[in-house]
Amino acid sequence: MLAADTLTKTFGARVAVEGVSFDVAAGEIFALVGPNGAGKTTTLRMLAGLIAPSSGTVRFRGEPMAGAAAALRAAIGLLTEAPGLWDRLTVRQNLHVHARLHGLSRPEHAVDMAMDLFGIADRATDIPAVLSKGLRQRVALARTLLHDPAVVLLDEPTSGLDPESASDVRELVVRLRHDRRAVIISTHNLDEVDRLADRVALLNTRLVAVDSPGSLRTRAFGTRVRITLSTAGAEYGAALRATGAGDVREDGRTLSIGLEPDGPPIPALVRALVQAGAGVEAVEREEASLEQVYLRMMKDERP
Amino acid sequence: MNTTRVLALLGKELLDLRGRPGIFVPGILTGAIAIFMPIFVAVIVPAVTGELLSDSADFQVALDLYRDQPWTRLLDPEAAIQSTLFQQFLILLVLSPVSAAMSLAAHSVIGEKQARSLEPLLATPITTLELLVAKVLGAFLPALALSLVCFAVDVAAAALFARPGVFLALLTPRALGVLFLIGPMASLTALTMAVCVSSRVNDPRSAQQLAVLVVLPLTALLIAQITVGFVVTVPIILLITGVLALVNTGLMRLGVSLFDRETILTRWK
Repeated sequence: MLAADTLTKTFGARVAVEGVSFDVAAGEIFALVGPNGAGKTTTLRMLAGLIAPSSGTVRFRGEPMAGAAAALRAAIGLLTEAPGLWDRLTVRQNLHVHARLHGLSRPEHAVDMAMDLFGIADRATDIPAVLSKGLRQRVALARTLLHDPAVVLLDEPTSGLDPESASDVRELVVRLRHDRRAVIISTHNLDEVDRLADRVALLNTRLVAVDSPGSLRTRAFGTRVRITLSTAGAEYGAALRATGAGDVREDGRTLSIGLEPDGPPIPALVRALVQAGAGVEAVEREEASLEQVYLRMMKDERP
Repeated sequence: MNTTRVLALLGKELLDLRGRPGIFVPGILTGAIAIFMPIFVAVIVPAVTGELLSDSADFQVALDLYRDQPWTRLLDPEAAIQSTLFQQFLILLVLSPVSAAMSLAAHSVIGEKQARSLEPLLATPITTLELLVAKVLGAFLPALALSLVCFAVDVAAAALFARPGVFLALLTPRALGVLFLIGPMASLTALTMAVCVSSRVNDPRSAQQLAVLVVLPLTALLIAQITVGFVVTVPIILLITGVLALVNTGLMRLGVSLFDRETILTRWK
């Protein structure tokens, strides 16, 4: 649906984004993650047709969009980091102006639909100043989707929101996936990324990695299983190693075993422990948090 | 240029104004001064001192200068001097809408940036020309409306307080040309300049200070009329209007080429 093809952006001598490539399909939520100044917002702005790349191309439905920034802006919905609503206009007026800027044939109808969809119809005559931050973000989201864009770019959509409002926004993002829109979300909230994203791009001026959250975990930490015993596990390490498991860590009653493709499967490990006389209480896959993955990969990236 | 988008943004600008009535205070004050000054000089001072303007040697010189102008020819000497004074202050009346709209135009782009509403606006398909035209018109139309109101009050004041026939001097082609050709064109020049500057500086005060320079030629015209007897005739009005129209077209083109979305979005804080 939307592709970044070796996008590079420089501001004077400073390189903000370098050789970034990825593509996002319809119905996919794609997260851009990285430290402050990593180039996330710059990448979103290039994808939205707001600023031109220094080199590289943005492709929409396979077509290069160089020199067609206005067409790109018409096809894409961008939620900016700040809601950026006009404070002296009511919610309805804010949306109506944007509906007309997008040249919608029935702006009133589109505004009514958007307000119903985002649950803000009862605040239509309010000015943004009297709305909560969460409601303002809903209005901004409604504005982003007024023209029914196939691609939606969200820059820090839950930043500064209380947990309930953030949860509402996440629900709306999931709804976008169900509507078969391509969604690109830039955020610092790794828990949010873990819950929402189908794929994650770790960005630090250059792309560090692009994959699903699960695959990134495997790449960073491998696959591990944690077995909790009824007694101290130190004496059973040898039994596990005898099965061919090379990476065994003991911590009190817990054993953590690295799973290798050519190593013993989990049932064989459990069987070996039982045969050695261990009381097995629990067996579970050990998953690193996305934050751990992020920190590991970014640390590896540093020169 | 897509007129729907221009009208959409223009509508927003006008809606926005309803919440900022104070923005018109400088313009209303300038207009009030421009209306009051000729009444004070031509009506109140003679009434208080008991001395007619036509008895004064100074005004006699003015009368000699303007006596053969179409708007004074049929009037008695006192009314002729009064009508001359009302005409002279028309240029000042022209300045009132400019001063009203100046801060509006100066804030037009930088104000959006400060309110963080510029990026969502630029994310729509609106082009730079459409944006600038809407911003200029958003300041110009209220200024024009203020100008019309001030002129109506000026004519009414002349009809009420000056000698019979003096108010008709404000309805001559020359007076109407000053008000409705030079005035709007000068306003457009100032406002276009202010909007262009507003898109290049990150402080609205800078925009206002730079754009207010356009008031200087108009002020010079006013001073020239009063001090050296320079008569702004209809051909001169048409010439000034034509020059200003060209200047405005050039300024708008310059504004479009100077409007740097990237700098505005990435470097202004």
